[in-house]
Amino acid sequence: MDYEFINSFKKPQVQNNWFLDLNPLSKLNIILILAIIPIVVKRWEVSVVIILFYFLIAAASSRLKQFSKVYVRLALLIGSLLFIMRAMFIPGEDVLMKIGFLTITQEGVDHGLQFATLVVAICGALVLYSVATQARDLMLVLEKKGVPHTATYVILSSLQSIIDLGNMSKLIMESQKARGIETEGKVTNRIKSFFPILGPLFLGAISNSEEKAIAMDARAFYAPGKNTHLRELRPVSLSEKSVLILINLVFVGFIVWRVVG
Amino acid sequence: MNCISVKNVSYKYPYTEGFALKELNYEFEKGKCYGIIGANGSGKTTFCNLLRGMIPHFFEGELTGDVFIEETDVRNWDSNLLSTKIGYIFQNPFTQISGIKETVFEEIALGLENLGMEKEALIDRVIEVVKLLKLEQLIKKNPNNLSGGQKQRVAFASIIAMNNDIIVIDEPTSQLDPESTAEIFSIINLLRNQGKTIFLVEHKVDLIAEYSDEVIVLKDGQITLSGSTQEVLSNMDLLQMGVMLPQASMLSYDMQKANKQLDSIAITKSQVIEQIKQRVGV
Repeated sequence: MDYEFINSFKKPQVQNNWFLDLNPLSKLNIILILAIIPIVVKRWEVSVVIILFYFLIAAASSRLKQFSKVYVRLALLIGSLLFIMRAMFIPGEDVLMKIGFLTITQEGVDHGLQFATLVVAICGALVLYSVATQARDLMLVLEKKGVPHTATYVILSSLQSIIDLGNMSKLIMESQKARGIETEGKVTNRIKSFFPILGPLFLGAISNSEEKAIAMDARAFYAPGKNTHLRELRPVSLSEKSVLILINLVFVGFIVWRVVG
Repeated sequence: MNCISVKNVSYKYPYTEGFALKELNYEFEKGKCYGIIGANGSGKTTFCNLLRGMIPHFFEGELTGDVFIEETDVRNWDSNLLSTKIGYIFQNPFTQISGIKETVFEEIALGLENLGMEKEALIDRVIEVVKLLKLEQLIKKNPNNLSGGQKQRVAFASIIAMNNDIIVIDEPTSQLDPESTAEIFSIINLLRNQGKTIFLVEHKVDLIAEYSDEVIVLKDGQITLSGSTQEVLSNMDLLQMGVMLPQASMLSYDMQKANKQLDSIAITKSQVIEQIKQRVGV
């Protein structure tokens, strides 16, 4: 029996990293501020600085690999798409290039750059938060703040359901393949083989959710009284609270300065 | 002393024509293991839902007659309290895992967390159950990534941790291999020895013969045969009810046909061995 592992539940769960060990709501607070700054400033240079800052935080939290893996792909896809769409369709006077019926203007490029970096910066906040915070930690904190455990269960369970549905669809595709149905090759083949599995996949999920409700009932999920928690998070320290208040004050000051200025 | 009494109970699911359970009467005693058998569609799972109080609290429909759980009408029970009284394990190991816990240890603790048990006591209880069910090697694993058999053992552990007096077990091994089946039945035996009242639905009659004190046979929602395990599982009428006899009983009857009959109809392998030993004088 691994008593070291068991005894770890007797203390707050820590990962020995200053950012990861922040309270999930403190992290959310900081990341929301980072996401709001480019919206307020509306300059692509600021968005880029914020994006670089995300990478720094990810590196400092030992999450650079996970963050980069998701974020670079997402940023390239969304960023390039938004930039191209804006650059091509926003009208302007300073014409840079004409491609057929499309006129690319300096105003379009500027607007595209600003909008694409803004959206990419907002997406970055979400990705950074998701790699730096375990959903169960956030739910634990929310529960302690009074959110009903039914609600937190539904959120956590839905996240797991996405994984389960993915696994189940792979399994069904494998069985289809074993029956001789073409599931690989051309895109049309893949689409043809994929759509018929959606029915059984979702019906199965609905049927499983009833069983899951029964299973949870058997675990006294609706038992009267307050539930306890095996895991606990580090209490928010005075220094963490102070820094957070300071950050919020600076942010509010900044907003006021922008609005008044 | 009775723990559950069923009196003239019939039940019809919502939006259905026929009754899934018809005129059931039975007195269940504390501390016994009841085997429930019957062909597919005979009403075994519905009967489990009735014993567990899911009918009428979870499944609506038409319920007539009376079900008393510890002398209180099931209708008067707070359904949330019933889960603290009666444990329920069913056939699909995949849906019995909560899906929200990242280790088996936390998964087993979930029910106790819901019951509001203090952390120290909770940890001690989970350790106790882990040792009892020999799950030491699994405690750090993610329950979502376990095999069917392992998941079923974890589901048992989660229910056992809650220390319910009554446990309803519906076809726990229907999706498991023989090795996992043996492991699950060793857990059921453990529960029997702890004096729990067990309701066990199982198609494998040989296992029912080994572990049950009494057997109830259902056919088309009715109790067609009931009594001591020996009495019921040695009754050839079972075959007409769509239920196989245990191999030991079949062998006993075959020997009878061959004029080499045993002293009595055996229902378990050990009984057959014992009788043959006596015959040959070993």
